[in-house]
Amino acid sequence: MKSYSESSAKAPEPLFNRAYSHADVGNQDNIAGSPSIDELLNHNANLWRGCDMAGQGIHGRSTGYPQLDSILPGRGWPQKGLIEIISPQWGMGELQLLIPLMRSVIEQGHWILWVSPPHLLYAPALVQAGISTDQVLVVNLETSCKDALWSIEKALQTNNCGLVLAWQTWLPGKVLRRLQLAAETGGTLGVLFKHRDSKYSQSKMRLQIKGFPPQAGSFNKAEVTIIKARGNFQPLTTQLELYRHHSQHTA
Amino acid sequence: MEDPNSTSQLPLPPPLSGKAEVVKLPLRDRPSLALKNKVGRAQSKKPTSLWYAVYFPQLAELSESQQDEQLNVLAALLENISATVSFHPQALICEIRSSLKYFGGIEAIHNKLKGPLAEQLKQLALPEYFLYAACPTVTGSLLLARSGHNGLIYQQDNLRSALGQLSTDVLNLNKEQNRRLYNMGIRHLRDIWRLPTSDLYKRFGSDFINLLHRALNLAPEPTRNYVPPPAFSTTYDLPYEIDSLDRLLPVADEMLEQLSEFLQRRDLCTSHLLFLLKHEKRSSTVINMSLRQPSRSSKHLLMLLGTHFSNLTIPAPVIAAKIKVKKFDAFITNSESLLSEDKSTKKQYSDNNLNQFMEQLKAKLGGHFVNSIKTIAEHCPEYATQQMTYEKMEKIEKPYGVGQELKKNPISPRPLFLLEKPEQLVLRNGKLYHRKSIEIISGPERIETYWWSGTDVRRDYYVALEQNGSRLWIYRERSGENNWYLHGYFA
Repeated sequence: MKSYSESSAKAPEPLFNRAYSHADVGNQDNIAGSPSIDELLNHNANLWRGCDMAGQGIHGRSTGYPQLDSILPGRGWPQKGLIEIISPQWGMGELQLLIPLMRSVIEQGHWILWVSPPHLLYAPALVQAGISTDQVLVVNLETSCKDALWSIEKALQTNNCGLVLAWQTWLPGKVLRRLQLAAETGGTLGVLFKHRDSKYSQSKMRLQIKGFPPQAGSFNKAEVTIIKARGNFQPLTTQLELYRHHSQHTA
Repeated sequence: MEDPNSTSQLPLPPPLSGKAEVVKLPLRDRPSLALKNKVGRAQSKKPTSLWYAVYFPQLAELSESQQDEQLNVLAALLENISATVSFHPQALICEIRSSLKYFGGIEAIHNKLKGPLAEQLKQLALPEYFLYAACPTVTGSLLLARSGHNGLIYQQDNLRSALGQLSTDVLNLNKEQNRRLYNMGIRHLRDIWRLPTSDLYKRFGSDFINLLHRALNLAPEPTRNYVPPPAFSTTYDLPYEIDSLDRLLPVADEMLEQLSEFLQRRDLCTSHLLFLLKHEKRSSTVINMSLRQPSRSSKHLLMLLGTHFSNLTIPAPVIAAKIKVKKFDAFITNSESLLSEDKSTKKQYSDNNLNQFMEQLKAKLGGHFVNSIKTIAEHCPEYATQQMTYEKMEKIEKPYGVGQELKKNPISPRPLFLLEKPEQLVLRNGKLYHRKSIEIISGPERIETYWWSGTDVRRDYYVALEQNGSRLWIYRERSGENNWYLHGYFA
């Protein structure tokens, strides 16, 4: 395995980060007044404000949930990179968050690779959600961890997999970093599903989804917290109504 | 060396062997271009061809496909004599004028063929005899061979008289035509020569006339040559033993480059090849590479081989490597769109790329670990989804309108995750528990099916919410102990 040195791979980013955050705090008017910088911020995903919330750039892919878009930097899912979705139990609607994204990925002619989902992926449900199963590939749960990681990395590197969904409960930082780099080179979005959050994760974004107990809210409600995202410096929380897309589609 | 034009020593029945005479056309007497219509072409062709026919009457009893198969095997033997071997009903015909000198006369050629042909026939469990003949036309030699006279005619001038001796049976006509010929008092081909062509044409049709004209070299005889099936195998002996497979990759690269060149020249692709690693005093390691889509790109094959290598541990150092192609396929290209890059071509492109990726996945993980899924119109939830290994997927041409029927009559929501084995839930004090307590949100949806088989499915499905926020799909058995089960997660 190659050793990826932190400094060489990410060299320019912290530099920009610091520069802008200072400038921003100091004389905001100067920066905001210059149109060229606004333009840059809007269209370049590698450039972001350290202390600014979402809504500056619009380089993300819409999640299909306006409330979620509004708290995500870039107003949507990042185009590439690694996301972690933390769901204490399965069945919180963690996949529902991604349904609109999956649909757009399929429409673009890309494939979705599911790496070792914890249960059988149920085809009729995918069809109900408007996702064609022709472009869905599943790597079995019985695959060894090493092979599963290999396929995640390869899928992230090739540019014909539009989305890679993987269920890996615990991954060391070094591996995550490697997957992150693979996703950056392939321009692919990878999503890791986990039960528990780890503070030291290298992923680009971490968000947690929680369902509500039966007494509190309706069946469709879920609460999403963005624990970490480039461009957000404090956790943001919003409440979503899931299955909206689903009902729209079947109607 | 024997003069091919002398017929004195040939094993021929006396009436058929023509006079040995070389007719050379003086240059100035050659017919002008305007006259070259029929006669000219025939005469200019004359000195170049002599067709040797081998006729196997015993094949007539076999089915057509079997005949083709046997002839293919036998044709390989004739390939040793001539480059132009063509197939005819129960017969093979090859051009031998060009190789007469080399082999030293027709008799030498015949002797060279006799043994192997008999042996091959024996292997094919067929009677070991065959008839043969040679003359300047393909059809003529076929007719001669059928007559069983084993004749040889060198000169075209003798063709008419030699063929005239044959009975009309050799023409392989149908019953009606035979009867008509018989009634006309025609027993031999020479009787036909006497009749006017236009009347024959009226009575017997153009096929009949064509056949006769071809036999007499008055009409062109297009033949389709036998092309031996392609075969490729190459071996590379390493100068020293190699323990690490990584160091074998440059060698493999070179070999695959050779393969790709071979395939390109023949306009072929391969979909199944073997890569053998030879060891000292051990049986060789075989890497079986079957491809999802035929390919001939050495880069792609090398990448696949590299993936295979990464999975492989070799029992001993490698001393030689060998590539053998098991299956060839025709090369099919995709035409690219000239104008706009529309969606379908984009999809095609990504499909091609994806196939490479999938092959790599399969090579690494093994075929049955990578699956595709599809829906099946089926009421019982666990049977409504199917996982397919991707070889199977290839076989199904196009997944038929996925879930069309499901879309038409909307059913209640289905969970994205289905438990392979339903998990029994605990019912305590009238409350359901999984990890925490469960509350039913909606339902029931009754599913009753499979009453005709032994496993009766009678269930009431509910959508439920667990205390920790998990959305569940549960059901209650309507038979036996009315137990509750967890069957899926609305993830």
